Amino acid sequence: MRIVIAEDSVLLREGLAMLLDAGGHEVVAAAGSGPDVLPALLEHRPDAAVLDVRLPPGFRDEGLRAAIEARRRLPGLPVLVLSQYVEQTYAAELLAGGAGGVGYLLKDRVGRVDEFLDALDRVAAGGTALDPEVVSQLMTSRRDPLQELTPREREVLGLMAQGLDNATIAATLVITERSVSKHIGAVFAKLGLPPTDSGHRRVLAVLAYLNA
Amino acid sequence: MNAALRRSARATGELVGALRTGLPAMAGLVPLTAALALSLLLLPWLPSAVKPLRALANAERRRAGRVLGREIPEPYRPSSGEGLGEARRLLRSPSTWRDAAWMAAHGLTALMAAAVAVAVWPAIPFTLSLPLWWWAAPEGSQAAFITLDSWPKALTMPFLQGAFDLAILLWLVPRLLRWQARLAEVLLSPTRRTSLAERVEELTETRAEALEAHGAELRRIERDLHDGTQAQLVAAALRLGLADRRFDADPDAARTLFLEARNGVEEALTQLRTVIRGIYPPILSDRGLAGALRALAAAQPIPVELHVEEARAPAAVEAAAYFVVAEALTNIARHSGARHGWVALRREPARLTIIVRDDGKGGADPDRGSGLAGIRRRVAALDGTTRLDSPDGEGTTLQVELPCGS
Repeated sequence: MRIVIAEDSVLLREGLAMLLDAGGHEVVAAAGSGPDVLPALLEHRPDAAVLDVRLPPGFRDEGLRAAIEARRRLPGLPVLVLSQYVEQTYAAELLAGGAGGVGYLLKDRVGRVDEFLDALDRVAAGGTALDPEVVSQLMTSRRDPLQELTPREREVLGLMAQGLDNATIAATLVITERSVSKHIGAVFAKLGLPPTDSGHRRVLAVLAYLNA
Repeated sequence: MNAALRRSARATGELVGALRTGLPAMAGLVPLTAALALSLLLLPWLPSAVKPLRALANAERRRAGRVLGREIPEPYRPSSGEGLGEARRLLRSPSTWRDAAWMAAHGLTALMAAAVAVAVWPAIPFTLSLPLWWWAAPEGSQAAFITLDSWPKALTMPFLQGAFDLAILLWLVPRLLRWQARLAEVLLSPTRRTSLAERVEELTETRAEALEAHGAELRRIERDLHDGTQAQLVAAALRLGLADRRFDADPDAARTLFLEARNGVEEALTQLRTVIRGIYPPILSDRGLAGALRALAAAQPIPVELHVEEARAPAAVEAAAYFVVAEALTNIARHSGARHGWVALRREPARLTIIVRDDGKGGADPDRGSGLAGIRRRVAALDGTTRLDSPDGEGTTLQVELPCGS
């Protein structure tokens, strides 16, 4: 995969490049500040972008804004946003477009190299990768349609939101894959998601969860 | 003439009404002075001795304010505690002594003023009718201080006396009322000097509290970083060092140590996030107060309606405002049983007003909830004010004002 990264800390930028390189990807550009991100993305049109939320000059949410703007200009551009902390508002803003190909992870997750590369693959393939901490934030907060879900269904939806596939969910919860798809079907039904457009329903379910 | 009479009649009524504070002031003069004097020896009882005095002075403020047609504000600052500290504060507070001075002045004059006003009314018809029956009056009857013993005197003096009484009625009685009210105003309203003194007192105290709170905060942060994060990182480094030594001899053991080190670092990062959030929530610097509050509201288990003005305030004020709302919303979610919450934020040039309201069961008690006490401390440290209104069954309203000094 051709990847553009944006990270202001040189150490972390080099580390990320090394890690992606080791994962068989090619880092085509590395931006160090907010205003550099969009031109780099437009020039290289990568297969995925890995962006830090906080970038110079303001050290606020330049990376996040750049990601949202880039997805507006390049629809479907897979973007994985890294942050030192997680905020469900940011996850909701990233996903607001409705399409997949979005990830929002704590920087800590980079340490678990395989899981991080998996998440990147999922995002590049149009899936989602939400940090478990975002998901647990969501779980404790109000989402009215979610009131009707059983605890097990909420668990399954939480893992779906993290971007896991049925097999992984089944393994995590120690249940059969069949019952996972049964739970997912129930979740879709309770959230009022039509059975068409099946590829997107997972994303829509996560969205319903974020925006309800 | 009619209008003047009516004014005098009203003034008489008011002067009699002033006895509501005048008589207690007079009756209280001896025991309360004794109590105040004794309290100086038995300092801890001063607050209870001052309480009835303040109640009386407040009644007079309302009464005199009505007479003057302008409000007489209370100079007292809210009691900040009990016992010796509060007693010392009362002792130093000029309003305590001004209240006492007013009580003495009012107690000594109110009855006389009322008596004059009440007596002058029947006195006028009485003196004016004297010429008709002076001969039947007891020996030695007087008008205008002259004993009536002959017709000429009886026919002139009562009218002189009547004119004098009328002057008292029309001129003096309304003035008595005014003087009485002015006396109350002069002694009972906060003067620039007393309000400045009280303000300095208050600032000295909040400054001490702020320093105390700041010190405690620094110690907490130091402890969290030192005992938590730093220790975790040391342990991780230690494992990496061990893994390095064992790598050639026992790669499997080295691998275990690597993984343990990674877990340690992850743990340290999690703790670090908590510490940072406690110092200054990152979302606040990313999105400003309005954005941070929106994020906060969105994360609540019940719907929270926001009315927030976008405006920046000093970082310390914004952080305090954020923590106040966060704490209040946590309280609502945990204890209130509310179905809806409201958060309003108003930015005025000199201050930031925060109102957090819910429709829960009310009955919140700042003396029991550590959250509310924390809010109060945090707000007081910035010289702000906290007001909690939580009647049983009617929801809770928390209003906080934080000065912005700009």
